[in-house]
Amino acid sequence: MRDLKHLIFFENLLQEANNDLVKQARQEGRYALGYTCYFMPEVLLDLPGCFSVRLRAPRCGSPEMATYYMSNRTCHYGRSLMERALEGGFNFLDAQLATETCTVTCRFQEHLKQMDVIQNPNFFCEFTDVPFKKTENSFVHYRRQLQAHVLDPLHEKFGIDTSDEALLAAIAQHNEVCRLISEIGAYRKLDNPPITGYEFHVIQLVSLTCPKDLILPYLRETAEELKTRQPELRSPFRIRVVLAGAENDDPYFTQLLESCGALVVADRYCYGSLPGREEIHVAEGQSPLDAIARHYLSTSMCPRFMPQEDMRGRKKYLADLVREYHADGLIVASNKFCEYWSYERTMDALILPRDFGIPTCSIEKEYVNSASGQLRTRFQAFIESVEIKKIQEGAKK
Amino acid sequence: MKKIDLKKLKQLDVKKLAKDFWQGKPHGERRLGELYEDKTGLYKHREWRGVKDTFYYFNNIWLYNYIMMVGDIMKFGGPVIFAKGLWRYRWMGQTYLPVLHWFDRGLEGLRGEALRASAWHYRAMVCVTINQFMNMFKADANLHGGKHNEAWHHSIAHKETVWGGIFYPWADKFTHIPLEMIPYFVTCHVNNHTVLNYIDAVQSIGLPGDPCPMCQAEAGLFVQDDMPDYAPFVITSNEACDGSVASTAIQDWFMNIPLFAMPQPMQFDDPLVQEHCANEIKECWRFIEEQTGVPFDWEQLKKNLEKQNELQRFEWEKWDVAANTNHYPINGVAQALYRIYQSQYGEHYIWHDTDKRVRKILEKCVEQRIDTFPMTRHRMIAWSCAPLYYSHWCTWAYNCWGLNTIINMDSLMFDMEIRTDNLENTVMDMAKYHEWAPMRRMAVGGMHHIFELWENMEKFHCDMVMMYDQLQCKGMQGVVGLFEDEFRARNIHAIWMPHALPDKRTVSRAEIRRIINDYMTTVMQEEPLDPSLLDFDDSESW
Repeated sequence: MRDLKHLIFFENLLQEANNDLVKQARQEGRYALGYTCYFMPEVLLDLPGCFSVRLRAPRCGSPEMATYYMSNRTCHYGRSLMERALEGGFNFLDAQLATETCTVTCRFQEHLKQMDVIQNPNFFCEFTDVPFKKTENSFVHYRRQLQAHVLDPLHEKFGIDTSDEALLAAIAQHNEVCRLISEIGAYRKLDNPPITGYEFHVIQLVSLTCPKDLILPYLRETAEELKTRQPELRSPFRIRVVLAGAENDDPYFTQLLESCGALVVADRYCYGSLPGREEIHVAEGQSPLDAIARHYLSTSMCPRFMPQEDMRGRKKYLADLVREYHADGLIVASNKFCEYWSYERTMDALILPRDFGIPTCSIEKEYVNSASGQLRTRFQAFIESVEIKKIQEGAKK
Repeated sequence: MKKIDLKKLKQLDVKKLAKDFWQGKPHGERRLGELYEDKTGLYKHREWRGVKDTFYYFNNIWLYNYIMMVGDIMKFGGPVIFAKGLWRYRWMGQTYLPVLHWFDRGLEGLRGEALRASAWHYRAMVCVTINQFMNMFKADANLHGGKHNEAWHHSIAHKETVWGGIFYPWADKFTHIPLEMIPYFVTCHVNNHTVLNYIDAVQSIGLPGDPCPMCQAEAGLFVQDDMPDYAPFVITSNEACDGSVASTAIQDWFMNIPLFAMPQPMQFDDPLVQEHCANEIKECWRFIEEQTGVPFDWEQLKKNLEKQNELQRFEWEKWDVAANTNHYPINGVAQALYRIYQSQYGEHYIWHDTDKRVRKILEKCVEQRIDTFPMTRHRMIAWSCAPLYYSHWCTWAYNCWGLNTIINMDSLMFDMEIRTDNLENTVMDMAKYHEWAPMRRMAVGGMHHIFELWENMEKFHCDMVMMYDQLQCKGMQGVVGLFEDEFRARNIHAIWMPHALPDKRTVSRAEIRRIINDYMTTVMQEEPLDPSLLDFDDSESW
């Protein structure tokens, strides 16, 4: 396939949290607002006058300083963010809109609040409490929290317009991003898609880490380009997989998987698009904030949700993705020390093959993709096993 | 025949011998470490505490508790169902007999009023434990040929981290039984080998070794099919952490019964969260009504909360004595376990019986100005989550080094009375109470709460900190550096005690002792009170 026109540009944007588009937006006088989790609705941080940056710590080496503060027995992602913050890599942030949705990222954000880490006189860190359920009580609570801990501080400290009109404008822009990403992602359902999992991963990540208005023209152009992009005559991949799991903002992990012969056709992980890039619908008479609160709680498939129907529904959701994207198998990857995904991955690896007949590969990885040789061996073995299964099934037929 | 050495005989101080016989040896001469059989930690013979205390220990603690254990079995269900449970469940079979050894470990070296008051706390915990497992067995379909009997239909199962007070409105009609409190939490203290099996079991199905071992063990009970089937539905909680939420998914898979999740908000200082939490409790009550067909009973709730408030008020009196005098007669392990058990499980008659007895002892100590732990060199506060397999470390630390654990973090949870003037106030207070559960309030709760250490050090007049370092607690691991910074800035002596909650294989008891010994000799430059306790092998001990 011909290279995507903006792929190198996108890749370069992912080399730094404070990338060229972030710098441009700040030069325009807009406030940079950091967050780590899907439960902090990015659309609220993309109101006129500010923009959201989902934090990453690309090219983080050994997080020595963060390890002093958070020990070497916590998730590498949280520690890498802390290290980057201590190095001064997040000094461009004007605020951190925090959530205590998993322990270690919470601790990272608490350090931002407790210590004088971010060298920016404007900086503040505000926590939102996120419920564990999708009931009416939870929706109401979440909406109040977003009002009190996101909109009110943004208005009070930065003078951001948080009116319904402003929210509707932010939703319109957000929905366009979602439409484009979904449109691009939908190509992965094709037998021979004109986009690889790696390319999609890069595109999804830039949509999370760059100011929306500045990245949108590139996304539009890429979506246009894909309409006519010709895939290889014969797919170079041996199998198709859904990649699920914990935090994954490393497109090279997807690239590693694809280099072994498995095309990643769906991305169901933190920082992925499934779920995450669904449009927000505001019903007639409904307040935009209410729509946002309901949208983010109801679309999330986070293993943090505790009700029985959610715990079980997550398995079905994965199985549905495998079917919808015509995948041959599922790879569930959790970051070491991630408690939620350690259990979820264990369950997925048992239940998906048993109850849904889906071959599943269970992987534990680090935030920094250092064990590539071992991972490659695991992936190759899984791909071979799926191939053999397909051959055996073909022989039976 | 061995010759009698007359010279030595002449040198004997008969007066001292008689005194030691009558009163027991003074602290520095006891050599308690020489009592142990190598590795097993079993005693070669009983500790001689002087005539009065030895006989008190034998009659009023050892014999009394054996008799009461039999009595409780008879009272709460009878020997047949007990025997069935003993045979069916590993955690039961492995922990019933070592109970008195658990007493011995926790009460070693104690004398006088401290011995008596601490032992009453142990007795209460045994009673509630027997009550709970007998209730489980009576209702257990596994022990009744798969049949769901009346007791099964009248039991409510819940995660051990759901406070028992939630079920007070049905206290006269239904029995609430925490899922893991006995099979995991209590057994781990009594026999530290038992729980390892469950940790291995859950790892055998693919779970990595790094999540919190408490949650691992709790999930492993289900993987091993070692959990009674005693209730038609279950209430769960997110206390204390991500691991607790995540492990519930495994438990749900095995239980496969209606489940109600009752989460506590994470940012519990925010006044906005109280209403949300209160509504969760109300929804939980509606779920129970639907499941049982029995309506919520305000009078029952009120009555039981008022009784519980009595316990809280006495706890405050105890803390007052502990904080401001040297007359507090309860040792570190008894204080910690009793308080967490009582406040987490909720109302039970035995707590009141115990508090009455302890009050008498406490008042006597204060009135007569008895120095209950006379060899105290340092008043310690123990912070963060304790090692369950070595909760009696503080008994050892006092005997060996004179380190007296005055209070610990878990005891300071649930630190409130609950209003009973009207339902709305009550529910709001219950919400807060639930938010102030162990680990939620401090270890994994908001960061500023974990640093309440400094004010509690001051309040309890402590000069040293035993800083528990639960290696697999992400919440605590995530703040270690800030603690180090603060310890240095405040010039506080703190000993970091690494451990893995129930899993003794990660850091053994001997290793914990070595760490304390090293700190006391190198940093504090002190000599042990009892050198025989410095180093011994109890790796096979219960």
